[in-house]
Amino acid sequence: MSDANIIELRNATKAFSRIPAFKNVNFDLRKGEIHALLGENGAGKSTLTKVMAGVFKLTEGKMTFDGKDVSFSTPAEALRAGIAMVFQETNLVPAMTVAQNLYLGEEKMFNRLRGLYIQARQFLAGMGFQVDPTAQVSTLGAAHKQMVEIARAVHHKARVIIFDEPTATLTPEEKSHFFNLLQRLVKEGIAIIFISHALEEALAVADRITVMRDGEIVASGDAKGFTRATIVQAMVGRTLTETLHGEVKRTARPYGDKVLSVENLSCAGLVRNSSFSVFSGQVTGMFGLVGAGRTEMAKVVAGLLKRNIFHGGEIRLLGKSVRYRVPRPAVRDGIVYVTEDRKFDGFFETMTAGENLQMGELTEGANPVSMVSLARARQLAREWGERLSLRQISDRARMIELSGGNQQKVVIAKSLIQKPKLVIFDEPTRGVDVGAIVEIHQLIGDLADQGMAVVVISSYLPEILAVSDRILVVKRGRVVEEMMLSEATEERVMFAAVH
Amino acid sequence: MELAGSGKSDGARMGIKMSQELVVVAISVILFIVFSATLNNFLSQGNIIAILKNVSILGTLAVGMGFIVVGRGIDLTMVAVMVVGVAFSIWISTWGVDFTLAVVCGALLAAAIGLFTGIMVAIAEIPPIFATLAIASSVYGSGRIVFASDVLYAPSNIAWLKFIGSGTILGIPMVVVIFGAVAALMGFFLRKTRFGRLVYATGDNPNAARTTGLPTRPIIVTQYVLSALIAFTAGIIMLGLVTGIDTRLYNSSLIYDVLLVVVLGGIGLSGGQGGVRNVIVGTILVGILTNGMTILNFSYTSQNLIKSVILLGALAIDAIINPRDEQTSQSGDI
Repeated sequence: MSDANIIELRNATKAFSRIPAFKNVNFDLRKGEIHALLGENGAGKSTLTKVMAGVFKLTEGKMTFDGKDVSFSTPAEALRAGIAMVFQETNLVPAMTVAQNLYLGEEKMFNRLRGLYIQARQFLAGMGFQVDPTAQVSTLGAAHKQMVEIARAVHHKARVIIFDEPTATLTPEEKSHFFNLLQRLVKEGIAIIFISHALEEALAVADRITVMRDGEIVASGDAKGFTRATIVQAMVGRTLTETLHGEVKRTARPYGDKVLSVENLSCAGLVRNSSFSVFSGQVTGMFGLVGAGRTEMAKVVAGLLKRNIFHGGEIRLLGKSVRYRVPRPAVRDGIVYVTEDRKFDGFFETMTAGENLQMGELTEGANPVSMVSLARARQLAREWGERLSLRQISDRARMIELSGGNQQKVVIAKSLIQKPKLVIFDEPTRGVDVGAIVEIHQLIGDLADQGMAVVVISSYLPEILAVSDRILVVKRGRVVEEMMLSEATEERVMFAAVH
Repeated sequence: MELAGSGKSDGARMGIKMSQELVVVAISVILFIVFSATLNNFLSQGNIIAILKNVSILGTLAVGMGFIVVGRGIDLTMVAVMVVGVAFSIWISTWGVDFTLAVVCGALLAAAIGLFTGIMVAIAEIPPIFATLAIASSVYGSGRIVFASDVLYAPSNIAWLKFIGSGTILGIPMVVVIFGAVAALMGFFLRKTRFGRLVYATGDNPNAARTTGLPTRPIIVTQYVLSALIAFTAGIIMLGLVTGIDTRLYNSSLIYDVLLVVVLGGIGLSGGQGGVRNVIVGTILVGILTNGMTILNFSYTSQNLIKSVILLGALAIDAIINPRDEQTSQSGDI
């Protein structure tokens, strides 16, 4: 135990129903430092920080905070001790004002709003935040919401603030403002952990960097000791460098028939007058920042948006004008959408893998027999299990007990059983282990080779570059740029997406 | 990271499920033995037949309710549909309509109410507990205004109705045969047909069912139509047994007994789990319990109190065994 450390984790392991999210991790956070936590999706960064913030409890190992052994059972307990976490999706109450959110949970019995606003205004001004304390949180932009979260953490006298991907939704100006703010917090002696996918930020801002892969810490040290190349190498290991980072030059597949064409599509404020086409035998990548409207475009096409917020435009499937209000006819006509949130609308958790696949078969486009049998479900599980190398699935295991990678493969297989003409993958490798990522990318390529039209939506640039033949860049609800694989570089795509 | 899905935890989960069912069976057996030993009339032939007859109405209703609950719904209209559907049949038969035809009309009315409920739940997307609560009162209220009297008696000369009430097949009372047939049919429906699988899928995860392209709305509407028809069938059983229908039954605790059977039997209120077997197990336990308490001369009020406490306990256990969202959602994402 060194005095310089405010948080120490020793031999820490966290497992969810015996699947470890991270294991045997030793981690130090020094007082007053900015510590960047890097790693691929599913590497265990979020879970590690959530343990520190009291969201989860360690399965094994111990954690000390300021020299004392601690084990928080709730985030509130961690916050009281002095550890605050700012989550990816903010934890503010949207219907309340900024001031109410700031003092949430400590209202006096007779709450005077005016006093609250005066107090909040002084507090925010003291931190140099230009946020109106009477504004309703739902009306604020991402950057302002983050400011409120930070103000709340500081108000609770947090000594450690953890940020989960704080910059993902910020514009470049907002980012620089955010990093200035971090410096100010550090001057006040607050230690900061931030999780990020953007390596340049980590290199520029952090004092120290820790890289995780597959639930283990693979590199940790002073930021000065790292370069972009060494971080990437640590992040992806040897297995991924070839497929993910284009060291093996691919040639783009040629254009097939025009399967989908979208013209001047608008819906609510999310998609604005957007036009694009998708061709068979080709992978079309859709890149954009979170909230750019990619998912919404896909969902309008597949008939998934719940309310009728269609504001015009035309969608043509194989030249025929279509407009789906529910997914059923879209699936019947051959458009399937593989969800970005498989837990929410991807799989049936109490059913086995085979039964899940059978649900795909029972849709109208596939083979809606009126009599079903368990034997057929098991047969489907075997067939697709082999094809997608699902590992160690017992016939009776429920979906909820499978690893993220296996769950994702089952969701994909369920869609492919529906004999689609056009498959839309939304973040196909989110929360999936590294081995499965490579396999899913290969599968996506195979589908295009077989002549299917494939769309891949991803916020992860290397993924887009690894799988796409043609890249559409989406910004603020519109496809703003289209480029072929040969013209695309990380810099070019990112430039189009943010400016 | 491929440690998932080994047989062990699968077995453990099944263990919980199985033991819930087994516990209910064990309690039923123990109660049966205790009542047989301590109560004079309990083991008499007359009483056993009384248990079976009472149970068949409750059980039939519970098959319908269980079917809805598997699809993550709840149908509080069942008792209202039962009394109003049957009373309607009797009412139009008093105009001189042939009784059998009148029963068919009653069944159509029940189906129409079910259709309306289904549309309210599936298309207007009103949470089923509120939609069915409101529709139940409306149906009962309209019935009372139209029929003008609380108790309606069936014509006494209907042969098939007498046969339902007192006939037997191979020594088994006809009412029990009907309950068995409804249960067997439902079991087949749920386990073997596409429609049954779709009900489980909708109950397990309605969003996934929708995204997968399953016809979720037609499934839900069909479910409520079927449960209304099953409620009507239960009403016909009752009419056979007591030759009349008391519409005030709607104000009794019958609907809670039905829920008690379903939850006690082990059909999780979070949907997607359980089946007809659970309904039968729950029906037997509640049947024995009610009968024993009646022989012991417990007042109606104290019987209700005991059953309510059991229902509360069963709901609490259900919430722990089949958590919805919070706890399960933590294990999927790493």
